Amino acid sequence: MTLHTALVKTEEEKISSEEAKKFILSEKNGAESIFIGRVRNENSGKKVTAVTYDVHDKAVIKSFQSICNDAKSKFDKSASIFLEHAKGYVPVGEISILIAVSSGHRDEAFKICRYILEEIKHKSPIWKKEHYIEGNEEWLPGHSLRPKEEIK
Amino acid sequence: MEIQLKLYGSSKKLSDKDILNIELPNNSNIEKLRIALSKIISKKYLKNNLQNLSKTAAFFSEADEVVNDNYKLKNKELISIIPPIGGG
Repeated sequence: MTLHTALVKTEEEKISSEEAKKFILSEKNGAESIFIGRVRNENSGKKVTAVTYDVHDKAVIKSFQSICNDAKSKFDKSASIFLEHAKGYVPVGEISILIAVSSGHRDEAFKICRYILEEIKHKSPIWKKEHYIEGNEEWLPGHSLRPKEEIK
Repeated sequence: MEIQLKLYGSSKKLSDKDILNIELPNNSNIEKLRIALSKIISKKYLKNNLQNLSKTAAFFSEADEVVNDNYKLKNKELISIIPPIGGG
């Protein structure tokens, strides 16, 4: 198996980079690239304490698999990919997304990692609600999935 | 007719529940749903930064695929509203 994608319910478990490293380990692949995204404590001048991730479970997993398979076809069919994204409340400093890739060579490993991250931002139905130090909260703006020709 | 709108992201401001029931004229399509949603927002939720939601949201059918404005809705159909996304 060379592809693992999952949403991780943060109240129940944590995203593990050790698990990711084990999954992508392969004698065929000499390069590994790991991207870890964490919740940071500031956004647009506001002090952030946590982010809640809302997701459309089925559509997200479908999009993750499609994006990862596209990445393999585009850059390296032998690549192994581990992709997990948080679902629920994630405090500052905790992992929100982990993408681990092993590939034949470093260029493909870097490119696959970057490609997956950018595609997720534009294709996977995930929403972020930031929680601020003052106790208020806000849903962040994002990328519309409505067909462009319909938006007037 | 009535449809059930499954709420995600910022649209969750529209209800404390996960699903919002919306009354529509018979034989409505997604375009009609956008109009109904726009009315609900302008009546009750203008201060919630939802003014553009009826324009910018996409909608998923029960097959979890984006449906266009001509998609004919069925009575009691479950439709998901997909506000602009931004994971990672």
